Amino acid sequence: MASRLLARWRGLVLALLGIVSTVWLGATGQLGLYIHPRYYVFTVVMAVIGGVLAVATFALAPAPDEHDEEELPARGRGWWTLGGLLLVAASAVALLALPPSTLSAASAADRDVNSSDAVLAVDAPTLSGADYGAFTVKDWAAVLRSPASAGSIEGQRATVKGFVTPDETDPDNVFYVTRFVVTCCAVDAQPVGVPVYLPGWREDFPVETWVDVEGAFATNPSVVSSEALVIVPSTTETTEQPAEPYVF
Amino acid sequence: MVLREPDVAPRPSTSRPRLLRPGPLVAGLALVAVLVTVRLLAPADEQVIAADAARDAITLAISVLIESLPFVFLGILLAIVVQLWVPERVILRLLPRTPWLRRATVSVLGVVLPVCECGNVPLARGLMVKGLTVGESMTFLAAAPILNPVTIITTYQAFGWEDGILVARIAGGFAIANLLGWVFSRHPSPSELLTTRFQRTCAYEAHSDEHGGRMTRALGLFARETSAMLPALFVGAAIAGLIQVVVSRDLLVTLGSNPLWSVLALMALAFVIAICSNVDAFFILAFGSTFLPGAIVAFLVFGAIIDVKMLSLLRTTFSTRTLAQLTALVALCALALGLGVNLLG
Repeated sequence: MASRLLARWRGLVLALLGIVSTVWLGATGQLGLYIHPRYYVFTVVMAVIGGVLAVATFALAPAPDEHDEEELPARGRGWWTLGGLLLVAASAVALLALPPSTLSAASAADRDVNSSDAVLAVDAPTLSGADYGAFTVKDWAAVLRSPASAGSIEGQRATVKGFVTPDETDPDNVFYVTRFVVTCCAVDAQPVGVPVYLPGWREDFPVETWVDVEGAFATNPSVVSSEALVIVPSTTETTEQPAEPYVF
Repeated sequence: MVLREPDVAPRPSTSRPRLLRPGPLVAGLALVAVLVTVRLLAPADEQVIAADAARDAITLAISVLIESLPFVFLGILLAIVVQLWVPERVILRLLPRTPWLRRATVSVLGVVLPVCECGNVPLARGLMVKGLTVGESMTFLAAAPILNPVTIITTYQAFGWEDGILVARIAGGFAIANLLGWVFSRHPSPSELLTTRFQRTCAYEAHSDEHGGRMTRALGLFARETSAMLPALFVGAAIAGLIQVVVSRDLLVTLGSNPLWSVLALMALAFVIAICSNVDAFFILAFGSTFLPGAIVAFLVFGAIIDVKMLSLLRTTFSTRTLAQLTALVALCALALGLGVNLLG
């Protein structure tokens, strides 16, 4: 009986879990934690359509000759039912009970800050007449990666917001103001960062702290760091994680 | 996969038609209300799960799920439309009769039915119920994610004509899809390639013309397809999330500059990361400087057809043995294609 009920409603319950979660994230402006903004409308519209169909399907009496059950030996059926219940329960906890969350700084370390030169190069902003005030971490990182334009920004002042990750080549004196760049969904998030020279930064700003940094680009005073240009900050302040933590 | 007699006279229904009942509808609405309440009352504290790795695995799994779910719904809707509203002759009669020409035509169906690869699985199931053979459906599943306008445009935006990546992806995808269709069409008893559950679905559908009105039948199909596809999608997303945390990206990326290892490494990455073919070009562009062009082509071709999430979805329809053969064949072809591009380039 239990296995029969589960087989019939498992899919619909899972659908509703995904739908309620999606619509709630959309309504509270948190879809950006998981997917690129270009999918917001499509995702919410399909969720609403799916929701209407799923609820309507509840009203549908099963056809008398419906083949719902898996053709399983009686022995395996108990495990199958248990697995199905666990899947529904785990999905409910993950989608509805846990608070939405961003990727941790630990995954930024695993993915190598600024390893994605090409994606930065493609989107590199033009420097002449640009509004530097509007530059994001991604824009500055792209400028720093391109040998042609990097030289021309020495002395340029910049304000950046992101979380702190260490520069592996000089972890005591240099850190990155880091953001994840998302092209499709959080799975493809790549960390990009702007290096900041601040000896002893760990004491005030532990890894993963969100900071606002203001300062000017200068030749890196650190001799061991592999970064050529860094921001030498005039102010560095801790700040709240912004509502949209990723850049797109 | 059932070949039906054309234009059979409507058969009088022997079983009771489905009824719409208010009781379960109220229960369904109540369930939605409960789910919404739980979501609204859940604590907003980020640190419920302390371990970074566990939290990341959940975040990544949810991200794969929320990204794929709308495409799966779209695929199910298209499959329902194809099954209930499109007359048979429009789809199946318009296809050429010569098998290889027919498969070649099926492989460009993605241009007119552009769903992402996860949406293609329910659509392919619908097409098989309508009478497409197993081999042809394989061709469709392999070709549609690559030979569709969105994928071609994003791949062009990412790579242009550089290193022949775009051309190799399109031509390679087409060739592999048709090879797959041909190989699996040689099977003496193609229905054995399918799961027993899906075989039964096909047999059942062939005799279900007269179960109530179209809307009722559409809802019945929706219930059946969600109960088949969604558990697979949820499990696939969970595995994809977990595996990201376990497998080190650094390791795969360091293998990048060797002509052989870079191809294998990027195929492994494609299998693990399970992102949509529509956007995978942008993703791999991030590694463009690290990997050889052949490796990128192998990533773009292999990943569009096979990955952890897709295997989980395909398992609803094809037997494990079939999927093992399918994976091996696609992997070998993608490897050969990648090595070829590296050697010629």
